Amino acid sequence: MTLRNNSGPVKWILIILVILFLAVFLILPLVYILMTALGKGVEVYKASITDKYAVKAIQLTVQATLWAVAVNTIFGIAAAWCLTKYAFRGKKIISTFIDLPVTVSPIIAGLIYVLTFGRQSFLYPILDSRGIQIIFAVPGIILATIFVTFPFISRELIPVLNAQGTDEEEAAALMGAGTFTIFRRVTFPHIKWALLYGIVLCTARAMGEFGAVSVLSGHLRGKTNTLPLYIELLYQGYDYTGAFAASSILVIMAVLVLILRLFLERRGQKELDIHK
Amino acid sequence: MNEKNGYVELRNINKSYGDFQASKDINISISRGKLAALLGPSGSGKTTILRMIAGLEHPDTGQILIDGKIVNDVPGSERGIGFVFQSYALFRYMTVFENIAFGLRVKKAPEEKIRERVAELLKLIGCEGLEKRYPSQLSGGQRQRVAFARALAPDPQILLLDEPFAAIDAKVRLELRTWLREMISQIGITSIFVTHDQDEAIEVADDIIVTNQGRVEQAGTPAELYAHPATAFVARFIGTSVPVANYGDFRFFEYAGPDSVGIVRPEFISIFKKGESVQFARSAEEGIVEDIIFRGSSLEIRVRIHGNLLSVLRSFNDPEIRIGETVDVFLHRMFIVREDKVDLVFNQSIRTESVFL
Repeated sequence: MTLRNNSGPVKWILIILVILFLAVFLILPLVYILMTALGKGVEVYKASITDKYAVKAIQLTVQATLWAVAVNTIFGIAAAWCLTKYAFRGKKIISTFIDLPVTVSPIIAGLIYVLTFGRQSFLYPILDSRGIQIIFAVPGIILATIFVTFPFISRELIPVLNAQGTDEEEAAALMGAGTFTIFRRVTFPHIKWALLYGIVLCTARAMGEFGAVSVLSGHLRGKTNTLPLYIELLYQGYDYTGAFAASSILVIMAVLVLILRLFLERRGQKELDIHK
Repeated sequence: MNEKNGYVELRNINKSYGDFQASKDINISISRGKLAALLGPSGSGKTTILRMIAGLEHPDTGQILIDGKIVNDVPGSERGIGFVFQSYALFRYMTVFENIAFGLRVKKAPEEKIRERVAELLKLIGCEGLEKRYPSQLSGGQRQRVAFARALAPDPQILLLDEPFAAIDAKVRLELRTWLREMISQIGITSIFVTHDQDEAIEVADDIIVTNQGRVEQAGTPAELYAHPATAFVARFIGTSVPVANYGDFRFFEYAGPDSVGIVRPEFISIFKKGESVQFARSAEEGIVEDIIFRGSSLEIRVRIHGNLLSVLRSFNDPEIRIGETVDVFLHRMFIVREDKVDLVFNQSIRTESVFL
């Protein structure tokens, strides 16, 4: 008896269970967010999201996200490339370290940077004398966002590059192609969709990062508050409408990312079918 | 250039990967315009040799010469080499046209010249009209032809092929062997290919280099390897060879001691039905047929004699033999291997007659 034949009550019970679960844990809260956000009328909602500090928070979130994505794209490609195309000592260790941000708590990630760049660090005098402030400032937020999102892109690329092997690159190199040409014409087409997918995941995670950023931010309203931090601030101040209105922006961004992800997966699969 | 020295030469090459010694004191020489095969079991170091010639691996010691010049420090892309990979390594995200054009584009050839060359090669490989396809839309045989054209496009002096037929099904393989042999002799390019299949090497190559455990066992034409194996390994590896330890039990063969072994191939044996009147009938010995295998153009008869199961090929025109039948077996000759020396020994009853192989 195979599972597929067992299409009686079990199948329907499972489907209903999943739908119920999603409804309680996902749909209901989302609806509630929107309802609360619009609870005092569209005008209040509009005012909440066009508030000076809200706009600042959105801008900072976008800024941190763009930085994180840009840095991690370069780092991710470099890391995935060297881990799959070359053989060297310590490869396993590097590969393990890349996953560290996923396993370590974001709070600790934040504290690491406070210790590294804060007043008690030997680096502090050097940075301070040059007028560079990292913690409780925008650079700190960007650093924290990069840290928590850096495995996302390389982890998408490594399996794809591993599956491809090195034959095509060797063939191109034997014909005299340089490293950049090989990457652009041979390797990049392979990893294109995985890379975009990684970027999407990285974006989603960067936008929502709370813990590490919270430690490093210093919570200066209008200066170092990202959207998630701003939401918390409003919530702690009993401004539920404002908090949920700001949340709705994050939700909309997340839904956009999800749609993009679905589209990328479809396109990537289609192309894979042609070239496999 | 002194042709005696060969176009591609390896001198005293050694190569290790960690503790594993892949090449041990390799000395080989391949003449200009020849098609040579590197033949050996898997793990014998033949692919390492090929990759060193291509510059994809670097020898620990020794010299690689192409056209009399030492090329150890010349990058593979400047050695004038075309390489066909075992799995072809066609660029999956490029069309057939772009695959073949790649080497020319890298060399910044003018667009018009590229078009001309690709068209010429497509015609040569008989794949006109496929230029817009992707590798995944080609058959195995077509892929191999495209890989061949891609390697040839920049006009290399040497063509290297790594197990060129391994990824193709048996029927197409035979067809492609003939095709490749004709193509290479038509172009006249010095070529070296790696294979573990002796039929392939014997059929396609002008010269065969037999490798085993990182060493070169013997190099020579297929006929030379067949008739005069230089080492015990070659004697066993080439042909359908059956070792016979108790060869002294056969009439008219002298036993050389327990450290020696006889090697018998199907073409060394004749079998006759009882009463079939033949030249050697008086010197023949009796054997019992244990199995008969249909081989298409002939029958393989497996006959038990002095405890050994020997194979003989028999024509359909000869009188029919059945399983279990007692037949007369005559052994014309055998190789006797002692230490690493191989001697061809003839049946003493025909010693005086003229001998051919």
